[in-house]
Amino acid sequence: MAVTTDRSTLAQKILAYGGLLFALLIVLVPYSYVALSAFKPPGEIFEVKWLPDEWSLDAWRYAIESVEFHKYILNSFFAGLGAAAIALIIAVPGGYIFGRKKFKGKEPLFYIIILALLFPFVLLIVPLTISWIKVGLYDTMFGLWLSYQVFIIPFGLWILRGFFEELPASLEECAMVYGCTQFQAFYRVMLPLAKPVVVSLLFLSFLIGWNDFLFSNMLTTGEGPRTASVIIYIMAVGGERVEWEVLMVLTLIAGIPPVVLYILAQRQLMKTFR
Amino acid sequence: MKPARRISADTWLIIAFLLPTLAFLIFLIWLPFIQGIWMSFHNWPLIGEPKWKGLENYRDFLAADYFWVVIKSTIFYSFSTALQLGMALVAALALNQKFIPLKQVWRGVMIMPYAMPPVVTGAIWLYMLDPNMGMVMYYLQKFGIISQPIYWASDATWAKIVITLVASWTFWPFMFLIILAQLQAIPESYYELAEVYGANLWQRFRTVTLPHIKGAMLTAVIIRIVWNLAKIDQPFQLTGGGPGYETSVLSILTYRFAYLSGNFGMAFTVGIFLVLFTFLLIGPFLKKFQAQITQARR
Repeated sequence: MAVTTDRSTLAQKILAYGGLLFALLIVLVPYSYVALSAFKPPGEIFEVKWLPDEWSLDAWRYAIESVEFHKYILNSFFAGLGAAAIALIIAVPGGYIFGRKKFKGKEPLFYIIILALLFPFVLLIVPLTISWIKVGLYDTMFGLWLSYQVFIIPFGLWILRGFFEELPASLEECAMVYGCTQFQAFYRVMLPLAKPVVVSLLFLSFLIGWNDFLFSNMLTTGEGPRTASVIIYIMAVGGERVEWEVLMVLTLIAGIPPVVLYILAQRQLMKTFR
Repeated sequence: MKPARRISADTWLIIAFLLPTLAFLIFLIWLPFIQGIWMSFHNWPLIGEPKWKGLENYRDFLAADYFWVVIKSTIFYSFSTALQLGMALVAALALNQKFIPLKQVWRGVMIMPYAMPPVVTGAIWLYMLDPNMGMVMYYLQKFGIISQPIYWASDATWAKIVITLVASWTFWPFMFLIILAQLQAIPESYYELAEVYGANLWQRFRTVTLPHIKGAMLTAVIIRIVWNLAKIDQPFQLTGGGPGYETSVLSILTYRFAYLSGNFGMAFTVGIFLVLFTFLLIGPFLKKFQAQITQARR
């Protein structure tokens, strides 16, 4: 890179570093305190101090052996995976059509989808619970997967449509000149080009399955596919005595995978939101 | 002739590709919504026969002594969106400066609250804010800001403040990501030109940066208003909607009626008010959004 003159003023630097420092502190202070607390023995959790006098893995052992948290983490993992798979089937073809094709009634139909995006989806929990009981989807993983789509699809269609729309206009025609069918033009040419937005969709929908509490709690029972979020909720507000050191272990176990996934997906995400 | 065949292949693809989307819209959004409206005219338990009640649920809710408490707490909680926007702007503008090193690392750190499950961050703040053993109260007392711990969970005002602040802390990175992506797309030459004309820092922000990110900000604000009002995992975990109904934002009340009381008719009735409230709140922003689109088309 050639020499670029840094034209930023001192004021600009102070403001930028100040803002950055503030944002980093409000995030890092709680997280580092929590990470350290997960290694405190039960007796030390009630004192406010950063480092434990005696480092202990008791809470971790308890989380696996007594809470059996790994089971619920596995449920969360499948919840996210299924949510992403179904989102892929619904949103990718739909988003492609809205971004690339012309047909009668396209505008009003898309407004209906936008309306769904602006819709406070939480109230659908009410009829869905009743219907899921009737059709046997209550307390099943498949029922959860379907219900998560309520959060995912409207937003997914929105970002996919935007991305497909911005791709060069004559791509499909070119592909068809070279002998592709309509479907092949989509599958071989358009889909690979849309990789950033498809990755973003997969990431966001996995996250919704993994992170959700409202539907997972309402639509499952103790015997069914309870996810990690539900267990954390129950542990945090359920009992008479909260085992904070264990709870902090659980928050770390359930909280770190999404962050790792974000780091893996971040380049695609930034391209999607541009 | 060829064109005729191509049109039919095209139509076929459109129909096949739209089918999943249409099925989703019908079976997961609009039919349940209509079913919910039907349910709101009943006394509808989880198991057992629903009983017709007509508009009684609506009358009961409007006449309930907690009606205004709930509306007020919903309005209060809505301010979380403004805090999120402020925080997102500060962080995105700071991180977008050329001289900042290790940008990707900081971006990864900042995304953490948003990436984690809301009940995870909720549990973390329950621990941090615990009146007796939490770190926040400890330091507030140590620095002499408060003389005794605040039992926020049983105080109407503090409970509202806590759920609003914690929600802001959790969800600001969403807007941050969107704004940052827009900032990065601004060509450097625009700033150079502004400089040539002698624009100072504030003028550069107003004439170059702001017009560029306004559209994205508007979209993000609209989406966040809707989601903040609907995604209530965390405030529900923090206060359970209490004390009394003080932090029962409309959607929390819906959840309380469905999950805790098993009164599904009433739950959806409250849900209808949530829809009305949401659209009332985003109405002005939508209008602006519409104006922006028509302006762009001209």
